[in-house]
Amino acid sequence: MSATPIAEHGHHHAGPITWPRETFFGTASVGKIGMWIFLLSDALSFAGLLLAYGILRGGASTWIHPGEPALGINFTAVLTFLLICSSVTMVLGLAAASEKKRKEAVVFLGLTALGGALFLCGQYQEYFGIVGHGLTGEGLNFGASHYATTFYIITGFHGAHVTTGVIYLTIITIQTARGKYDHDTNKIEIAGLFWHFVDLVWILVFTLVYLIPQ
Amino acid sequence: MSHKVNRKEYWVIFVILFVLTVLEVAVAQIPGIGKTLVVSALIALAVTKAAFVALFYMHLKHETPWLRRTVAIPLATPAVYALVLIAEASWRHLR
Repeated sequence: MSATPIAEHGHHHAGPITWPRETFFGTASVGKIGMWIFLLSDALSFAGLLLAYGILRGGASTWIHPGEPALGINFTAVLTFLLICSSVTMVLGLAAASEKKRKEAVVFLGLTALGGALFLCGQYQEYFGIVGHGLTGEGLNFGASHYATTFYIITGFHGAHVTTGVIYLTIITIQTARGKYDHDTNKIEIAGLFWHFVDLVWILVFTLVYLIPQ
Repeated sequence: MSHKVNRKEYWVIFVILFVLTVLEVAVAQIPGIGKTLVVSALIALAVTKAAFVALFYMHLKHETPWLRRTVAIPLATPAVYALVLIAEASWRHLR
């Protein structure tokens, strides 16, 4: 199939560029399929970490050792809600951009990046404590137990994804404000895929790491 | 985005995700339910939430069946062997 969008030279083109129909992937752009393939490989990295965690925890006679703090479910539930909110602002931002409402798109995309930044502040509070003691101050030390190490590696790897997402979305927001995506919202949609994936993985991490009872 | 924008659908999904999250937190903390049942319920709720995000926010619902399969099959495989390996580790410990 040709990789050239049909309306590449259409300066007065309205809405997103339409890609030629391909037998298996329809009108999905090459960039979108590329992002999906990347997300799959990234998902398998998370799968490897979660599998190791599951085997270690399933085979342990004691998971949380005396002196180690339990994880705060209610605080993390608020962080989960924050990511769900940032997912809805992401789709609303893309919707506004595809309807050529540039200002509205910039507001929603900016809110999405802000949601991610607030999530990172929450994670910092949880680890190190801005108010009160963080988990590190309460005796959850990296390398001290399978519980501590798997916790920091899994949530840290996810946090690295949130950080990447905040930088990625900030760039996309600035480009949107400059009008770069006025005629083609494909790049906003691809950034959205990455951001929703970060939310999707957190849904699983929240359940497996925080909610599964002792 | 080749389909029409449906903001109402986005908000419906948002409400569903919120309700399911509240339900998860409740299920995890209510005493008196068997552990196997709690764990099964929590994983079912999480997978449901993840599927809603993928289908409606990542627009997989509007993609071709082959793109959906390209995503779903490589994820289903590790889920199956994870189940086997974790069950095996837990069984050896309980024995």
